[in-house]
Amino acid sequence: MSSAGALALPSTSWRTRSALPGFGLSLGFTIFYLSTVVLIPLAALIIRPWELGLSGFVAEVTAPRVLAALKLSFGAAAVGAVLNTVFGLIVAWVLVRYRFPGKRLVDALVDLPFALPTAVAGIALSALYAPNGWLGAPLMWLGVKAAYTPLGVVIALTFIGLPFVVRTLQPVLNDLSRDHEEAAATLGASRLQTFRRVVFPALLPALITGSALAFARAVGEYGSVIFIAGNLPLRSEIAPLLIIIKLEEFDYAGAASVGVVMLGVSFLILLILNGLQALMAKRR
Amino acid sequence: MTDATMTEFALPRPRAATADHPVARALLTATAMFFIALFLLLPLITVFAQALKNGVSTALAAIVEPDALSAVKMTLIAAGIAVPLNVVFGLAASWAISKFDFRGKSFLITLIDLPFSVSPVISGLVYVLLFGMMGWFGPWLREHDIKIIFAIPGIVLATMFVTFPFVARELIPLMSDQGRDEEEAATSLGASGLQTFRRVTLPNIKWGLLYGVLLCNARAMGEFGAVSVVSGHIRGQTNTMPLHIEVLYNDYQFVAAFAVASLLALLALVTLTVKTFLEWHYADEIAAVHKH
Amino acid sequence: MSLVVESVAKRFDRFPALKGVSFSAPKGCFLALLGPSGSGKTTLLRILGGLEFAEAGRVKFEDGDWLALPARERRAGFVFQQYALFRHMTVAKNIAFGLEVRGRRHRPPRGEISRRVEELLSLVQLDGLGKRYPSQLSGGQRQRVALARALAIEPRMLLLDEPFGALDAKVRKELRMWLRHIHDKTGITTVFVTHDQEEAMELADLVAILNQGSIEQIGSPAEIRRSPASYFVADFIDSPIRPSAEQVVPFPETRAARH
Repeated sequence: MSSAGALALPSTSWRTRSALPGFGLSLGFTIFYLSTVVLIPLAALIIRPWELGLSGFVAEVTAPRVLAALKLSFGAAAVGAVLNTVFGLIVAWVLVRYRFPGKRLVDALVDLPFALPTAVAGIALSALYAPNGWLGAPLMWLGVKAAYTPLGVVIALTFIGLPFVVRTLQPVLNDLSRDHEEAAATLGASRLQTFRRVVFPALLPALITGSALAFARAVGEYGSVIFIAGNLPLRSEIAPLLIIIKLEEFDYAGAASVGVVMLGVSFLILLILNGLQALMAKRR
Repeated sequence: MTDATMTEFALPRPRAATADHPVARALLTATAMFFIALFLLLPLITVFAQALKNGVSTALAAIVEPDALSAVKMTLIAAGIAVPLNVVFGLAASWAISKFDFRGKSFLITLIDLPFSVSPVISGLVYVLLFGMMGWFGPWLREHDIKIIFAIPGIVLATMFVTFPFVARELIPLMSDQGRDEEEAATSLGASGLQTFRRVTLPNIKWGLLYGVLLCNARAMGEFGAVSVVSGHIRGQTNTMPLHIEVLYNDYQFVAAFAVASLLALLALVTLTVKTFLEWHYADEIAAVHKH
Repeated sequence: MSLVVESVAKRFDRFPALKGVSFSAPKGCFLALLGPSGSGKTTLLRILGGLEFAEAGRVKFEDGDWLALPARERRAGFVFQQYALFRHMTVAKNIAFGLEVRGRRHRPPRGEISRRVEELLSLVQLDGLGKRYPSQLSGGQRQRVALARALAIEPRMLLLDEPFGALDAKVRKELRMWLRHIHDKTGITTVFVTHDQEEAMELADLVAILNQGSIEQIGSPAEIRRSPASYFVADFIDSPIRPSAEQVVPFPETRAARH
């Protein structure tokens, strides 16, 4: 903009010059806001546990109650993600490939877990699966106790994760050209063979992404779980609840330790899945 | 040899090469519907059914009761501050990222998405670690008699954190797709930065922006975990609607809990309706890919 | 006559894509369906491949009712315009696909399959590229993989949808002669769709010119050049010869069936 700039030699600056205004202001505000709201607070989380020292940190996160809570949060999230992978694939397939009355309504309903506040979902699921609830009573009759057990945790985490798988698959399924399926048919493949050998491999990366997103969300989920979980220490107590309990005991370092482990393991899993995906994408 | 006018055979219509067997189709549809009914529809119905169990007037009474009203007010304050701030941030971030080239751009995008992969409880926890009684700034805040945790600022901060990426993440792909030709044209025609933004950029992104605001607001009003950590659950003072629901539910006031919950469920339904409407009518003007 | 098409008609919604098309072609013939876009040529090809269904009409092939067979039982090698190669499979896997999905009783043993794949790879001059993925190939190479994949099932009929449409002019010319060569070697009845009159006239034994869902003329390139049956045909093949008055049937009923 200034005439001096026009005379300057071509620089190896970290940014390309542009005729548009507002770069400094917009990027400056972005970085300032990002730092205050997200980065500095997260730094506080990562630094806090180390006031216990390494051995203190390890002792903290390997305490039986903490281990049990972490196991439940990650285990139930994994089971929920697997359920969502199977049923999410079916739901996405039906919504993309078939026509039936009320399809748009069903399609809109898939987003409910995104839109419904978690506390509302939590008390609804809890009432539904309580021993005297609409679904809890028949389940009790079958000898299955859902509410206030790990099974209840799985149910809540399945609810929360469904849209991730469906919404990740839908666009991919939509873009999948019919040519490939037609080619398979002209080559003599049955529908099942076509699905297994042609369609499924093409969907696999999106399926893994969707499951990973559902899993990541489920690991940290709190609101929809605590009402139905019963929160018995060592049995149905999830890791996020343990953080709150430790905070109430003013054990900041302990709470931060659990938080750091949750974050770390989540990132590790996402990193592995990303790597897996990159590996698959290489072939395309 | 033959001609078009000769007898036309009515042919039976075989199944298309890419169509599923009718039985498979029926089974898959039934499975999908059953799963959706069980996991999505039934919980939604439960909320309203439980709220209206003892009649409309009981439900209404639970909503207009002072503690409930104060919770509504608290929720509106939190969303009313967090959403506009995140809109400003979203606009600034997407302007910088989509209209300029600079090093570290993709890293910046990753950082913006960060709050999505953080547990809501941790989102609250980080502020307690900063501003809580035993947090980094705790002693200083106490000396100056400023309350952040267990008070409105904490609730607003926690809400800001969890809703942080919504607007930016909607606008960045949208504005990147649109490129910078139009803005450059406006600049060459003598428009100022603000004019360019208001008259060229904003009209192009208005539906995407509305979409982002909608999702941001839904999450802001419904956030529970993060707010729960920083609020202190002081009835009539620092309880938002989701927190009020928890208090009522734990007090065995089920009908009242579900009555307040049905307000939030209605908000969710309105959000979904508007969202679906926007997706139908302005699909091209909202970012092409939606991963929440 | 080995391929007999009788009054095949097809609509999309209200729009008639094929208005009762009839013609026949001898065994081992190389037939081009030539016409502008929207003339119904691709629809006809997809009907022959079992990917689209005629509402009226009959197709006989080698004395059997061709339309009664579902796509996967026709053994019609179909080469798609955009090739439709399976992206997640290697070239060799793509070619072997049609053999590997056969029922156990009809499936050749593993060694036989890989031998056939090698054979086909060398037929389409891609020796040594079996382990590549489609994304690692050029357009012309992909085209040849698609052809090898279609040939692997020992097709009774070979169907090609704009086989050279996505290629640049030079590769086009090369592949054109090569396709003719493969046809002469295998002797499979081949139908290909094109909008390029030069390509059709140079390559085919028999050219059917379609316009708005009807066949304007069918005949050998020489016949069509000598006496175009309608102004449309004359225009389309850039012929200086105008059709003689008695040859021209009022539009759109213009049709000449031969053989």
